[in-house]
Amino acid sequence: MKNLLALFIGAGLALVTGCNKSPDSAAGGATPAAGKKLTVALMPKSKGNAYFISCKQGADAAARELGVDLIFDGPTDPDPAKQNEIIENWITLGVDVIAAACENKEGISTALRKARQKGIKVLTYDSDAAPDARAFFVNQATPEGIGDTLMDEAARLCGSEGEFAIITASLTAANMNEWQKRIEARRVSKYPGMKMVALRPCDDLKDKAQSEATALLSANPNLKLLMAICSPAVPGAAEAVKQAGKTGKVKVIGLGLPSENRRYVKEGVTESVILWKTKDLGYLTVRAAVALAKGELATGAKTFKAGALGEFEIQGDNIVLGKPFIFSKDNIDQFDF
Amino acid sequence: MLLLVLAFEWFYFNSIGPRFGTLDNTFDIVRHSVEIGLLAVVMTPIILTGGIDLSVGSLMGLCAILFGKLWRDGGLPIPLAMACTLGIGALAGGLNALLITWLRLPPLIVTLGSYSLFRGLAEAITRGVDTFTNFPPSFLVLGQERLLGVPVQAPVFLVVAIGIWLLVHRTTFGRSFRAIGFAPDGARFAGLPVERRLALVYMLAGVVAALAAVIYTARLGQARADAGTGYELFAITAVVLGGTSIFGGSGSVHGSLLGVAAIAVLNNGLVHARQPREVAGLLTGALLILALSTSAIPKLLATLRARRQTLPANVQPSKPA
Repeated sequence: MKNLLALFIGAGLALVTGCNKSPDSAAGGATPAAGKKLTVALMPKSKGNAYFISCKQGADAAARELGVDLIFDGPTDPDPAKQNEIIENWITLGVDVIAAACENKEGISTALRKARQKGIKVLTYDSDAAPDARAFFVNQATPEGIGDTLMDEAARLCGSEGEFAIITASLTAANMNEWQKRIEARRVSKYPGMKMVALRPCDDLKDKAQSEATALLSANPNLKLLMAICSPAVPGAAEAVKQAGKTGKVKVIGLGLPSENRRYVKEGVTESVILWKTKDLGYLTVRAAVALAKGELATGAKTFKAGALGEFEIQGDNIVLGKPFIFSKDNIDQFDF
Repeated sequence: MLLLVLAFEWFYFNSIGPRFGTLDNTFDIVRHSVEIGLLAVVMTPIILTGGIDLSVGSLMGLCAILFGKLWRDGGLPIPLAMACTLGIGALAGGLNALLITWLRLPPLIVTLGSYSLFRGLAEAITRGVDTFTNFPPSFLVLGQERLLGVPVQAPVFLVVAIGIWLLVHRTTFGRSFRAIGFAPDGARFAGLPVERRLALVYMLAGVVAALAAVIYTARLGQARADAGTGYELFAITAVVLGGTSIFGGSGSVHGSLLGVAAIAVLNNGLVHARQPREVAGLLTGALLILALSTSAIPKLLATLRARRQTLPANVQPSKPA
């Protein structure tokens, strides 16, 4: 027993040693001198989220093309202090540029400002920090684009009237609040016959989304549609509708990954999944990060050319990825992320 | 044993990460572990009495947002808001103490209840959306700046740690905690004021959790209902790793400090070794199980040996019969 455990620890440390093949590059990353490899640190909101894993695929591709070191690390538990701790560790580690998707705006901005004071370039993607805490924000889609697309799709499926409910990640996430405001604005101006009966948080967890959706279904018998605006909530809501035997009666739409929802889309539980191409988001972010570190991208620029993806518009200090895409039964098989 | 592990961790990460051993990084480690350190230090006397407090992490959330509310909405100056927050911590700890000593309910159940209660209150007060930010820079100094080269929260932590160490190891109180943990009824028969001593440790935990909440708020520059999520388990892990028996009766505050250090260095070092931090959870778990087994296995062997020695003695006299 004791030997087994010793073996276990030994194996753990061996794993650590084995994987650590490039101590030189760690030292290289510390001093951004000419000719040395740049180190880009990319932070997801949470590490296990399929959405960010798919971002990472694009990020890896960009890092390979540009020959830079990419560190991908983020919280694995819901402690809001974790992102700050990782960023402070990166400051000490001496990375060249940090690109972060912010879980809570105010908290992380403190750490990002500190990084900027130490001469590290900072940009954000997916979910922004305070404007003075970063140079650029890689905006996956404007709140208008997302809110309008979601609300239009919901109205189309409900025939512009009836009750619907929204499941969000948390009531504090900056981007989701923006989207929700926009959804509401669109509803008021274009679809007065639609009524939003509830807004529930799911903490970015699929099982919580499922139980929230189940509760919503039993509390609102006239519900026509569930709109899930964080990615784990879309399959969660679909599973709830399916188990309640309300397939077709209550429609599910949401922002999510095609791969996580393919099954439900094909079964007819989920009508449509709306998202930007996440790989492109990761790719664009790393491209922009490297350009920023090399001084090729400066405040005031109007466009940015990101390798294979071509040119992107910059609105103020937002690098805009483009319009969201609607995945449905007809096209979902063409996408593998 | 734990000291060896810590030394090993230190040298190992130092040999890999060129910036691991720097003073800057050492202070990063300290800065990041002060809150959990505070909880672990104050959890030690509780576990010594054979109890447990699962509510400290949730209490941090409650205290953080009440502190924010007192300052922003109540208009209190920061020092006064801090003092009130510590008072609230004492009250909350007092609630635990009351239920445990008066109604004689098991600490595990009582604090499991207040674990949900405190977090629920925090979420209800903010309705999950309210976040307190824009604290004055003079307050943020407590969490983010340095004083004479060391993080400002470090001396605060040191004072609390020394205070509790003295309480546990140099006073009759400390001895009574161990006596209660070893045999609560025995302690009562020996004339110890068991209830009052228990009330003291749970109230102390409340106050220190409130202090941790204030430091946490200063470090992040924001107070939110989810402050300190899961910290109670980190603290308990550190205490047990530090050699305190979960059944009470034996253990030490310095052991718990070593436990905190071992976990904190592991977490930080893996970043410098450019390893995924998930490995930290795996290694912490393995370390804990290993530490527990190394102390349990000799005992197991001893009982086995004792049984083998007593068995023939029992068997022989029965033979002629």
